[in-house]
Amino acid sequence: MSVKAVSYEELIPGYKFLPATYALSASFAAKYLKAIDSAGDGFVPPLAVTACAIAAMTRSISLPPGTIAIHASQELEFFKLVPIGATIECHTQVAQKITRGKMTMLILELEVFDKGKEKVQSGRATIALPT
Amino acid sequence: MLTEIQEGKALNPVVKHITQEKINLYAEASGDFNPIHVDESFAAKTPLGGTIAHGMLSLAYVSEVMTSAFGRSWLSGGKLRARFKEPARPGDTLTISGKINCVEQKDDVSYANCSFECRNQKGAAIVAGEAIVKVSSDEE
Repeated sequence: MSVKAVSYEELIPGYKFLPATYALSASFAAKYLKAIDSAGDGFVPPLAVTACAIAAMTRSISLPPGTIAIHASQELEFFKLVPIGATIECHTQVAQKITRGKMTMLILELEVFDKGKEKVQSGRATIALPT
Repeated sequence: MLTEIQEGKALNPVVKHITQEKINLYAEASGDFNPIHVDESFAAKTPLGGTIAHGMLSLAYVSEVMTSAFGRSWLSGGKLRARFKEPARPGDTLTISGKINCVEQKDDVSYANCSFECRNQKGAAIVAGEAIVKVSSDEE
């Protein structure tokens, strides 16, 4: 998926990333389960869904070369089982941007919906970046 | 799955060994190729001194503990709050554990309030947090 990268300065509260759509195929689920060393239970693991949402967002941020973004905290709520083969749509926006000294904390809200527009999960990620 | 939802009950822990190969596999599966995870020469020049595992990889292990304990109740009604305290690195062995702190009743529905943590082989906390699961009546 190719998207226009957003600069760090553009990440202000209220900024909405372009929605990202993923088809959670059997091969995707198998690859994810192998990566987390788990047998699985016939559904897409909820953290695999979250991983898609976070990856879509981080891929579209353009940071200065050499900058390290650290995932500081994560909140999540799961609402629905996601079957293998489902298609999801991830929506992410900047909720807060707090600068303290040499660090900036970006608080991002994410919501994931299935094809029927039902919410399957929501959450908040805090990403720490050097200012 | 747990046969009894009781306060103080420990959740079955899982132990995972972190390797660069697993981190690379996770990057491919998730699409998160941040160089701090996958580029060893880049990571060596940063204050972290080397590659680190994705926080979401450690959190996936936490979710495995919760799924093992609560099954579908977790997958379709779980809630968590996690803090990534220290990075997990290649070579680390992580132990992920949890317990039920209390069971609350709200509007005829039971909620298991749990705490969890993920520690490395030195005992350092990698991830810590809390989770709540709506416990369906057939699991009580």
